[in-house]
Amino acid sequence: MDHVVSAVEALCAACGSTLAPDARFCETCGARIEPVEPEAPPEPDDVASAGAGGVGTAAAACVACGGQIAPDGYCVQCGRPATSPRDHWVEQPSPLVGGVCDRGVRHSRNEDAMALAGGDGYALLVVCDGVSSAPDSDVASMAAAKAALAVLEQGVAGGARAVTGSGTGRTAAWSGLLAEAAAAGDAAITAAFTELAHDVEPPSCTFVAGVVDGAHIVVGWLGDSRAYWMPDDAVPQQLSADDSGAAELMAQGVARAQAETSPVAHAITRWLGPDAPDTTARTTTTTVHGPGWLLVCSDGLWNYCSPADELADLLRATAADQGGDPALTAGALVTWANAQGGRDNVTVALARVEPPVSVRSDSLTAPTDLN
Amino acid sequence: MAVFTAEVFQNEFMADGATDVHAIVTVTSSGAGAAGASGAGVAEIVMIDSSGSMAGPNLDAAKYAAQVAVDQIADGTWFAIVSGSHVAARVFPYPNAALDMVQMEQGARAEAKRAIGRIAATGGTAMSTWLLLADRLFATVPQARQRHAILLTDGKNESEPRHALSDAVRRVTGHFQCDARGVGSRWEVEELREISTALLGGLELIADPNEIAADFRALVQRSMARGVADAELRVWVPQGGQTLFVRQVSPTVEDLTARRTEVNALTGAYPTGSWGDEQRDYHVAVRVASKPVGTEQLAARVQIAVDGQVLASGLVKARWSDDASLTARISPEVAHYTGQAELASAIQEGLAARAAGDEATATVKLGRAVQLAQETGNDEATSRLRRVVEIDDATEGTVRLKRDVARLDEMALDTASTKTTRVKR
Repeated sequence: MDHVVSAVEALCAACGSTLAPDARFCETCGARIEPVEPEAPPEPDDVASAGAGGVGTAAAACVACGGQIAPDGYCVQCGRPATSPRDHWVEQPSPLVGGVCDRGVRHSRNEDAMALAGGDGYALLVVCDGVSSAPDSDVASMAAAKAALAVLEQGVAGGARAVTGSGTGRTAAWSGLLAEAAAAGDAAITAAFTELAHDVEPPSCTFVAGVVDGAHIVVGWLGDSRAYWMPDDAVPQQLSADDSGAAELMAQGVARAQAETSPVAHAITRWLGPDAPDTTARTTTTTVHGPGWLLVCSDGLWNYCSPADELADLLRATAADQGGDPALTAGALVTWANAQGGRDNVTVALARVEPPVSVRSDSLTAPTDLN
Repeated sequence: MAVFTAEVFQNEFMADGATDVHAIVTVTSSGAGAAGASGAGVAEIVMIDSSGSMAGPNLDAAKYAAQVAVDQIADGTWFAIVSGSHVAARVFPYPNAALDMVQMEQGARAEAKRAIGRIAATGGTAMSTWLLLADRLFATVPQARQRHAILLTDGKNESEPRHALSDAVRRVTGHFQCDARGVGSRWEVEELREISTALLGGLELIADPNEIAADFRALVQRSMARGVADAELRVWVPQGGQTLFVRQVSPTVEDLTARRTEVNALTGAYPTGSWGDEQRDYHVAVRVASKPVGTEQLAARVQIAVDGQVLASGLVKARWSDDASLTARISPEVAHYTGQAELASAIQEGLAARAAGDEATATVKLGRAVQLAQETGNDEATSRLRRVVEIDDATEGTVRLKRDVARLDEMALDTASTKTTRVKR
């Protein structure tokens, strides 16, 4: 517990400024800092009677400071409300694949969703961003992400429709599965909301899915959630191309910075949902030649760092801080986005891509069934 | 077992950059039962002034009132009667008795009334000796955890230096509760207020000695109906937060801020004494570090604890917003009690300035008091103020000091200054 408590950002009681660790006086206002001993866990009596309407997760830890969540639903240390699992969760299906989906700061609901899978030589990352003007978009995005991942999982080795072959045949098969995955996501929304399909504004969400298969990356999308390829030693690139007002403006020659801040920047032109005019995912394929990261994210992240080269710098620095762990790195990027204001829900999914070493360099350990 | 509830009234929406959170917490107890219901013993001491100034109708009335009080003390209650002058004496149990306090029963009741009848007026007034004797008597019955006393005087504490009383009050604070009563117009409001405030009791002026008996009867009955021996108000603030003040605001204004004892680094406890079936309001103000717009956090947990067990909890929240229509609103409860607390200090400061001959300050303060009494609908305060000032314009707070003010009227205004009206909901 100690190591958690010591990580709490200390604030000056007099002026609220952040304090240096072990500071004895506040550098901003000069107030003397009384050392705060880590609070002992409340006595059972306190916990039992501290208030009704508890969330039933008395032992849960606060995501803000690591303190204990009291039955009244707030941290005993910093007072932040307990987050519901839908508001913030972490997935790490394999050592090389991880992601964090978070409500952000400004929104009261998390309408982002993600579904991840990973294993020997492959990674599947799906992110959907619910359109917040439509009710129940949080449910829609979750249903879509899960349905899409289920389709993609059929394509991995041992799956019902395992992708076989090599080269363009192999990537084309993945492209086909990505299109099917988007369609399955769309169907899942409609199935869950048949009674709402005629509403003025039915639930809807964006879709982006990235597949890592050995040295191949195949990406499919609708809307403005993005996939980036961030190689360690080469030029990073945005693989997806937004279906958004901003992208249309840029296509007309408006500069990126101006386009992305225009009033129509975030109006998406394609999406999943009962009122979507077209649910055919666009796809693109890349073959990588060295290690790097596949980043799939919602606009809650890229709003604060859109250009691929800047985002790659941020990712590389963050990953270095986190020892290269994909889930920790995703979590740190979410924290970073929230520190920038957290104006939207934030989802960051990462797959570490380490393409098979070429046969000629080491014939003993390299897999020979790829490429 | 008493049931406590806590209800919070506040505007939780905070403007960007705002740090201070105010809330009114209404604590209600029900099912408290009779004193001693929780198994703790009960002890009662009646202290009456027997100084020379009491001779005549005052002492007769006080002795009668003490006998009435004895009638109201329930059987089984540990009790004693003290007469006070420049020294304090145990009237009952008789000075030669082995026990300092005895349990009430029919024989003791009759004997105590007889003993009270023999009290004679003589000597000066040194109330510290009364309080210290009561403290010593209570200490002989540690099994009685609910301890209540009544102190009645008619005069100034003139037989000892002022600090002797303050020292005694400090020494006995937390050992027992004490209601203070002043009869007539020759006692000092400020002296008795110091006693009643520190000892979690009430203060009343009794103008007519014939009213003492009824008052004592009500006091003892209320004391005997307090089934919760001792409750404390706890205030938790988040790490990095700060409690600005904790104030009881109804039925009277009592600042509890300085009476904090630490439960843990983030939680302070404030004494509230014994409880019957009743309702009290508290104004809690805390300061927390400002958070980004959209953030919600708990700013305070306000709890009632009895015997270390939390029985009710109210949550004070902060939610930063950039919607001015939400953040600009002031909770009507917070506004009402902020005004009532200011009313109490405006009256006290105004009267103090007048006593010191500073008529300009007195006019401004009492004018402000008239204005606040009008704004918060405290009609009783308005009518008491009217006896001390001529009101030209209540809304503007324009007043003139009256030339000839009866000392009794001034004392009545001062004594009742901390009484608040409840917010209209």
